[in-house]
Amino acid sequence: MSSGQVTKRVKYKTSVKDAGTPGRLSLVKERLVFRPNNPNSASKLDMQFKYITNHRYTKEGSNKAPMLNLTSNQGASYIFEFESYEDLHICRDFVGCANLMKFGHKGVAELLHRQQKLQILELIRKFIQNNPAEMICSSVQGCCKTIDYVLHSELQKLHQQFVGGGVLTEAEFWATRKKLLEKDANRKAKQRGGLKSSVLAESKPFIDGRTNRVTFNLTPEIVREIFSEKPAVHRAYLNFVPSKMADKDFWTKYCRAEYLQRSKNIAAAIAEAAEDEELAIFLKPDDILANETRRKIRRVDPTLDMETDQGDDYSHLPDHGIFRDGSKEVAESGNELYQRTLLQDLNRHAAVVLQGTPIDEEQLKDTQTVAEALERSKQERSTASKDDESSADQERLKGISQAMTIDDLRGSNDHHLAPLWIKVLSVLTHNISSTKYNLGKKPGESLLDSLPTSVRDELLHHHISIEELMKHFWSSYPITNKYLNTKVTKLKDEMSKMDSQLQKLKEAVQPDIRHQITLLIRPMQQALEAAMQHYDAEQQKRASKAREKPNGYS
Amino acid sequence: MKFQIEEVTVYFPYDNIYPEQYTYMVELKRALDAKGHCLLEMPTGTGKTIALLSLITSYALAKTESPIKLIYCTRTVHEMEKTLAELKFLHNYQVKHLGAAAKMLAIGLSSRKNLCVNPKVSSAENRDSVDAACRKLTASWVRSMAAENPNQPTCEFYENYDRAAGGAVLPAGVYTLEDLRAFGKEKGWCPYFLARHMVQFANVVVYSYQYLLDPKVAGIISKEMQKESVVVFDEAHNIDNVCIEALSVSVRRQTLEGAIRNISRIENEIDRFKDIDAGRLRAEYNRLVEGLALRGDLSASDAWLANPALPDDILRQAVPGNIRRAEHFLHVLRRLVQYLKVKLDTDKVEKESPVSFVASINSDAGIDQKALKFCYDRLHSLLMTLEITDTDEFLHIQTICDFATLVGTYARGFSIIIEPFDERMPLIPDPVLQLCCHDASLAIKPVFDRFQSVVITSGTLSPIDLYPRLLNFHPVVSRSFKMSLTRDCICPMVLTRGSDQLPVSTKFDMRSDPGVVRNYGKLLVEMVSIVPDGIVCFFVSYSYMDGIINSWNESGILKDIMQHKLVFIETQDVVETTLALDNYRRACDCGRGAVFFSVARGKVAEGIDFDRHYGRLVIMFGVPFQYTESKILRARLEYLRDTFQIKEGDFLTFDALIDVMNIELTDRNLNQRQAAQCVGRVIRSKADYGMMIFADKRYSRHDKRSKLPGWILSHLRDANLNLSTDMALHIAREFLRKMAQPYEKTGSTTGRKTLLSQEDVEKLGNNGAQEMLY
Repeated sequence: MSSGQVTKRVKYKTSVKDAGTPGRLSLVKERLVFRPNNPNSASKLDMQFKYITNHRYTKEGSNKAPMLNLTSNQGASYIFEFESYEDLHICRDFVGCANLMKFGHKGVAELLHRQQKLQILELIRKFIQNNPAEMICSSVQGCCKTIDYVLHSELQKLHQQFVGGGVLTEAEFWATRKKLLEKDANRKAKQRGGLKSSVLAESKPFIDGRTNRVTFNLTPEIVREIFSEKPAVHRAYLNFVPSKMADKDFWTKYCRAEYLQRSKNIAAAIAEAAEDEELAIFLKPDDILANETRRKIRRVDPTLDMETDQGDDYSHLPDHGIFRDGSKEVAESGNELYQRTLLQDLNRHAAVVLQGTPIDEEQLKDTQTVAEALERSKQERSTASKDDESSADQERLKGISQAMTIDDLRGSNDHHLAPLWIKVLSVLTHNISSTKYNLGKKPGESLLDSLPTSVRDELLHHHISIEELMKHFWSSYPITNKYLNTKVTKLKDEMSKMDSQLQKLKEAVQPDIRHQITLLIRPMQQALEAAMQHYDAEQQKRASKAREKPNGYS
Repeated sequence: MKFQIEEVTVYFPYDNIYPEQYTYMVELKRALDAKGHCLLEMPTGTGKTIALLSLITSYALAKTESPIKLIYCTRTVHEMEKTLAELKFLHNYQVKHLGAAAKMLAIGLSSRKNLCVNPKVSSAENRDSVDAACRKLTASWVRSMAAENPNQPTCEFYENYDRAAGGAVLPAGVYTLEDLRAFGKEKGWCPYFLARHMVQFANVVVYSYQYLLDPKVAGIISKEMQKESVVVFDEAHNIDNVCIEALSVSVRRQTLEGAIRNISRIENEIDRFKDIDAGRLRAEYNRLVEGLALRGDLSASDAWLANPALPDDILRQAVPGNIRRAEHFLHVLRRLVQYLKVKLDTDKVEKESPVSFVASINSDAGIDQKALKFCYDRLHSLLMTLEITDTDEFLHIQTICDFATLVGTYARGFSIIIEPFDERMPLIPDPVLQLCCHDASLAIKPVFDRFQSVVITSGTLSPIDLYPRLLNFHPVVSRSFKMSLTRDCICPMVLTRGSDQLPVSTKFDMRSDPGVVRNYGKLLVEMVSIVPDGIVCFFVSYSYMDGIINSWNESGILKDIMQHKLVFIETQDVVETTLALDNYRRACDCGRGAVFFSVARGKVAEGIDFDRHYGRLVIMFGVPFQYTESKILRARLEYLRDTFQIKEGDFLTFDALIDVMNIELTDRNLNQRQAAQCVGRVIRSKADYGMMIFADKRYSRHDKRSKLPGWILSHLRDANLNLSTDMALHIAREFLRKMAQPYEKTGSTTGRKTLLSQEDVEKLGNNGAQEMLY
């Protein structure tokens, strides 16, 4: 598929009842092309997106076929019936995005101001997420850039105002925006269900009691567990099935091996393994696992690495040290080759659960699918994560040395940057924005639009600044050290400045819109007021406390 | 913070300090001033290590005219890493406040296995094969061969290091093993030899006990340490065991068979050398006549493990004539092995003193005591002459020679015990001849003699006056500190009954009772659902743990447990256990929560901390035993009684020794040191908290309980002495809720401060420290 193009098999209809013309619908950059399968058919179509004013589609789950209905500016409607909802959604999002494009960069910026930024972002995000990268046409990327730019210019203004004005430090300003700094925040994959904690494969075989038959129950989920916990079995499956043996035979052998393991009949296991080399694979220790273990042990937390102790212990050369003083337990020696214990299995299981296996629930269809999906994800992981791993290790080592410190002996000096989510604040901001929105007379036409641009911009900027101030103000409580104290004082000064600015703005506007402005400003003032009240109350409390304790505990 | 203890300015990397730490430092300083040894006991969770490190480094900074070196010994490598992490933290603080003057070099030293960066060598399986693989590339004769033959492989890291010669130095800083490896890789120098070289110049050396206590290792690593050193043995409650183990050797059938193979191989080598280079053997003979056991100019890469006897006891004499010639020496070895083989072929337990043993070797095998004594040196010389590099293949004959040298050197403090089988498994023949040391003071004596100050410290050293007698030294300071807690952050409980009110115990007649197994399981199922993060369970033995987990698995209890937490288990395989532990910590870190199943006298119980969220609850299923009928243990007790007049009463609280001295031998008893270790590692600081459940009805009996460490007993309320599962659950819930409440960290509300600020410490300094001592 070439970049920026989507082609789907569809039926083109002029009305819902029409039987339709089978053909291919291609969506390219700025246009939409329908080519019927029968080249002689008259119903060809080639039009630009900009002529489309509206689109509707059938909801998934309804009984109707997946259809997309496009309306042009001339009032004509074009109906496409897709083969699946999946196809429909891809095309729908494409059209949606393309629709957005016709506003141009300026238009998008405009839309953003109209508080629809979330919806637009959501639309684009969804589109990007659901489609492979090569399908995203350049215009969508352009749109993203605009959004980024608009968001960033807001940010720039704020940054200049507060950091430039000395109210906040650089670190404080960015601490609440860590997410923005992570470039690929919107590439986050959707959460996948992990493995179940309990060991499925350990579920007991079913014995019917009358005959000697033993039945094992295998579901795709159990198979996934077996494959991820026993990579050698996984490899064997990929190698043998279906070229060398059938799926069923493979599992019969596997279960036979499991049965031998569990019955602890080592002699029988050895005998059977000697005759059957495929069976032996299941009984032998897992070599892939052994390699993995060797790799992992190198990266283990050094403060608990008992293997290094063994490597350093010259007092216990073979036969040195005290051998039989009763402190050591008598180890049972056995044929290690064929001995895999429950304890080992449990450890392995927990490790795999902790690590997670990146397979979607949908892929749990049959063993073949599971095996292949697992293989793919393994490869992805091994190529992608090498660098991640080492950096993650560094991170972990840092964590370890931090854990070595004694918590209560250190003064609390790293609390002031913690971004805090405060309920009062979110409720307030919600109120503010909802009032702002509801003040409009008709949905979609907000009060803001009726204001002169300069006033509107100022108002919005004030709102964002106050939001920023509040965020920092509330996250500074409780005040545990001097640093936070000075920060709060600075913030408070800035807040009173902001208050008077709002007042000035109110007085400066034309009398005919003063009432609306007052309504818009009120929630902001309320927020400021609440913060100042809190500040005064705290200040008083601290003053009285300081009087009680002459040592000045802070 | 920065404060004065008399004339020394102490740099302590925190804003506050515990009063215990302060007094600990004051006592430690006295010992350093007096240039004497000291014995200090302070419970875990009070920041002992950082107090030690910060006082001693500050002391060294204050006394620049007579610089002291710190040799810090830990029991294990992972404890070494922890110590180095704390030292790094301290060092950063000191450099920040003092600038370049505070710069020091601190290194952790370990074996080639843990330091090697040459992928071809470090991939070898175990310690001995790594040592051998290294020697194959770095031995002097290999390198001289490589000079002529470019196809002869060598180690580029060693070659680079050797080429850099004096220029190969570590810049100041604190180096963990990983740091050393990283530095070595970056520079292309061998980190192992670099570290060994830098040990002489370092201000702080951190390594494990045996690098000082075991003559085999100390002989090559610690020979050149200056007298002006402070030696610290941390977590030293088991130091006596380390000492006796260092001087003990066992011989088994496998050893003898291996030794015979070794002798044949050496014989072949000798024949080969006779053909190609007879002069070499002659040169060795001449050297031995002159009285030199080893060439003096041995390069570091040639060094093998040193003589197993203590340095003062090694005779500086010529090797006796009857073993100077290589063939003669081999004959002697053959006769010795044959003699031991006959000895081992017995069906009853025998105990002999070294003197009578040596006498019978002399009469039966014709090997005199002096020849025995020189066995090790003679073998070493021969292997060097024959240019043998695969030393890992020759461990068996080395064991035999170690045995011969030790038995020929020491007439007292040892016994030889021959047992045809392990008494716990009388049906499986496994004869072993053990030369066991009983006298811990032997191995540690050179350390006390050589170094200015030796500090022995641990969380549990009681009774504290027993250690000077066991180790035979005279401390100038011997103190035991208690921990003052800000709040009741430890909650021990004794659980005697299960949820069905039936008693639980691991007593022999009850342990396999399905009711007990189920009740233990139910206890854990309930606890995993209410306790956050990590839970650790200890079982009395591997076999018991294995059995109980299997039956929990069959009855579905394990599944219930896994509904709430992941399960990780200690196995007999160290690598697997390490990975399980690592995963356990990850699971606790990420909030998933996990349970770790472990064994009361296993490796994990011995040295892994389960502090903070890694162990909010420790459950001890049953009472751990020590098998006290062991012949070796009894022999040791007899020796101690006869030599040191350590009275029975003194043992009452000490280890399992009690049982043997005090009561009938059939009664097995709780081992205090073990129990203390299992549960004693839950608290990292006074802000930490944790619960312990002792699940066995026998703990409600006073005589069993009283052997728990005092700091646990002091928190054990009478109401918690006889609980059933439901009651324990209720108490646990209450406790966790209480711990979640904010509290005053300084403890000023309770009257006595449990946390001191800069100001408090200064006040103390002015008023004299005496006032606040306990």
